[in-house]
Amino acid sequence: MSTINFANREINFKIVYYGPGLSGKTTNLRWVYQTVPEERKGEMVSLATEDERTLFFDFLPIDLGEVKGFKTRFHLYTVPGQVFYNASRKLILRGVDGIVFVADSASNRLRANAESMRNLRENLAEYGLSLEDIPMVLQVNKRDLPDALPVDMIQAVIDPEGKFPIFEAVATEGKGVFEPLKDVSRRVLSKLAEHT
Amino acid sequence: MIEPTVALYGDAFNRAAAVLEELIEQAQVRYVLLVDRKGFVLAHREALWAPRPPALDSIATLVAGNAAATQALANLLGEPNFNELVKQGEKQGLYVEEVNDLTLLVMIFDTDTPIGRVKLFGKKAADELDEITRGAVVMPRELGIDKDFHESADAMLDDLFGN
Repeated sequence: MSTINFANREINFKIVYYGPGLSGKTTNLRWVYQTVPEERKGEMVSLATEDERTLFFDFLPIDLGEVKGFKTRFHLYTVPGQVFYNASRKLILRGVDGIVFVADSASNRLRANAESMRNLRENLAEYGLSLEDIPMVLQVNKRDLPDALPVDMIQAVIDPEGKFPIFEAVATEGKGVFEPLKDVSRRVLSKLAEHT
Repeated sequence: MIEPTVALYGDAFNRAAAVLEELIEQAQVRYVLLVDRKGFVLAHREALWAPRPPALDSIATLVAGNAAATQALANLLGEPNFNELVKQGEKQGLYVEEVNDLTLLVMIFDTDTPIGRVKLFGKKAADELDEITRGAVVMPRELGIDKDFHESADAMLDDLFGN
């Protein structure tokens, strides 16, 4: 749940990029970091291994600006995608307000996408949550791969009922990076409004 | 409703700020922060003599992540909790005291300040903050944010992230 600091007139939201290892979660955050103007972003923190694989999380605070007198900020996190880092992944989900699920288009990653979605469902369940409780959008990344699978094939394994908005992306080129972020941010804000 | 949140404002915020103010004086530390377990800063104070602090958001995030990892380690070892965290460098140290299941108290001190002093006053302040923050726990539906908040925010999202 968002943290509201009335004294400082601040509202903070936590958005987590989830998905299988090497699907491009950190790449998304880096692109946002490079593109957002200096005065609207904080420091990007990356807890990564020497070969640049996320070990614990990446973190980037973004200032939306002042909304109705409240300074509104989005804290963007990635989780480590590799299967054996599940303990860390679970911790990052604490207090999550919105999720961008980053799927990999490579033909040999179809199963990894499905497993990561199942893992997300299981980890949310440990906090007493389900996918229906949290605003989520899907980003199908690496659309430039020569062997990229059709989007509907990927959707069939991660969201067979077609419940979540889906965006195609090439995060290394910044294509389709901001659309899912903006969409999930909107959903998070409108959810807050529903609850008040 | 997702989970309860600590909303410090009005009297509760003033009381928490007074505790942090007193803690800075008594423990002779550089910075004190009250952060929630999700990694957000609820309140902070800095000593008048201290240089400008580093990014507080980053500190809060890393401390919350660290505390969560420590808690997970404790559980693996069959302990309900490990309730304090100390990091000591050459010139500065960082001490984290668990206030309760929602919040943490972070103190950053010079290494010439005795750690015993930091812990003593840190624990005393944590007890006071426990009572204050428990009283400030609200369920999301009680927050009373204006309904057209998100409509205004929509336009700003376009501005920041493009149309």
